[in-house]
Amino acid sequence: MDGNQGGLTGDAFAARALLPGGLWLLAFFAVPLAIVVALSFGTTDDLGGAIYGWYPENYSRVFDPLFLPVLARSVGYALATVALCLALGYPVAYYIARFGGRRKNVLVALVVLPFVVNYLVRTYAWVALLADEGLVNGVLGTSVRFLNTPYAVIGGLVYGYLAFMILPVYAALDRMDPALIEAGKDLYGSSWRTFVHVTWPTTFQGVLAGSVLVFLPAVGDFVSAQLLGGPGTYMVGNLIQQQFFGAEDWPFGSALTTVLMLFLLGWMVLYLRSAARAVRT
Amino acid sequence: MRALRAYTILFFTISFAPIAVVVVFSFNTQRSLQRFTGVSLEWYRQFFESESLRGSLFASLEIALATTIVATTLGTLLAFGLVRARARWTPGLNVLMLVPLVTPEIVAGVSALLLFTQVGLRLSLLTVVLAHITFSISYVTVVVRARLAALNQEVEQAAMDLGATRGQTLRLVVLPELWPAVLAAALLVFALSFDDFVLSFFTTGESPQPLPVRIWSAIRFGVTPTINAIGTLMLVVSVVSVALAVALPRLLGRRESGVGVLLAREAA
Repeated sequence: MDGNQGGLTGDAFAARALLPGGLWLLAFFAVPLAIVVALSFGTTDDLGGAIYGWYPENYSRVFDPLFLPVLARSVGYALATVALCLALGYPVAYYIARFGGRRKNVLVALVVLPFVVNYLVRTYAWVALLADEGLVNGVLGTSVRFLNTPYAVIGGLVYGYLAFMILPVYAALDRMDPALIEAGKDLYGSSWRTFVHVTWPTTFQGVLAGSVLVFLPAVGDFVSAQLLGGPGTYMVGNLIQQQFFGAEDWPFGSALTTVLMLFLLGWMVLYLRSAARAVRT
Repeated sequence: MRALRAYTILFFTISFAPIAVVVVFSFNTQRSLQRFTGVSLEWYRQFFESESLRGSLFASLEIALATTIVATTLGTLLAFGLVRARARWTPGLNVLMLVPLVTPEIVAGVSALLLFTQVGLRLSLLTVVLAHITFSISYVTVVVRARLAALNQEVEQAAMDLGATRGQTLRLVVLPELWPAVLAAALLVFALSFDDFVLSFFTTGESPQPLPVRIWSAIRFGVTPTINAIGTLMLVVSVVSVALAVALPRLLGRRESGVGVLLAREAA
């Protein structure tokens, strides 16, 4: 092949440029994941130190009646978070895409801005607002118990990850030809039926992308459950964190991490196949 | 449409309210989080007078700076290689580059912790930096690659036909076109690293600890105005670096930075 075809493309230098980053990711990302899987079959010595071996019991413990509710709760909370993000975020994305006009970019920036603020600080802000002696109870003169409830934890997750839903949905709505909606109105009459038959199917891939982007971090989150909830609302992230800080059962923590990883990987594959199908049709 | 507009206004109000509360109460004279009694800088004074909190602030800034330098270099090279190399393992490397972006933070934290303890590396600021670099490279690569893919390769070819060496072509033709995206990616990585809690939490040593880890420990002892002050300071650092990431490339280079790719605007 002509080495100079298309400038630096196919150049030996370009191939060498792959090396540092590629080796780094191999050593610091791929290898550690393999260590997690390896240690998930390990056990602990008398002092709590981790040793490798073949102890698949770690995995039966993951599905023990003691821990199964925590896994189910994590998935339940994450699904509720996705549903709420969609319900709360879709109208905002719709308003910006259709009626944002010249201020579209400003409005998108306003969506992103709260998410630039540290997630811990944002969650802490809700603690300050909702605590028994917090601002909301102070202003209303009430003593309502907001914290330590599933609602507070799910609310924290929604507030934490809402932008991940709004942005892809907005992108899908923005790409959509407004003439489609006009045609839909001529065809179906009501706005609602136009939405159901035209807008929703057209933007469905954006909704799907947003759902994955919200679900992934939500299901592994431990900050919201720790700060806004209590032991009764702990999620798998809290369980994993406890194994490494406190309980010192690293092999069990690794098994939990592996299960979480495989579970999410499964969903990613399903999503990518659906997205690939959508591109083909 | 009027209802939709009212809803959007309400939505923005609620999403900014908690942040406004943190900022406003960081200037409160009293400890109270219920009543605003007057403006003071007491909590900022307390923050800057605490040697250990100052140490944490500088630790966070050092971590972010080191992460930015290494991750931007590696990520840019990787982007260049992925777009321009015709190696057999390019597709595999592409997947390896994308997976960190969708890996939940807790999985990333656990795997980094295990790596460092298994090779016998003592947990310190260095381990935090190593972990941060690993999960920042992909952001740089994605942003820079978007810009690189849009470059006209015929210009490079023309330069080389006119006798420019590979190095000259890179330096005089490719880099000037690319640097707004590189700068934007660097500022984003700085903001992400400065803000990161989960990875830092799993990989930090005893002292000094990064600022978000200190906030975490402080919150568990209860809500205090000092946390409001730290939160406000962190907010300023993040907002400034992200704003620069979007604005600087446009002001100086008058070109798209490529950050849009992260906002899903250019996603398929």
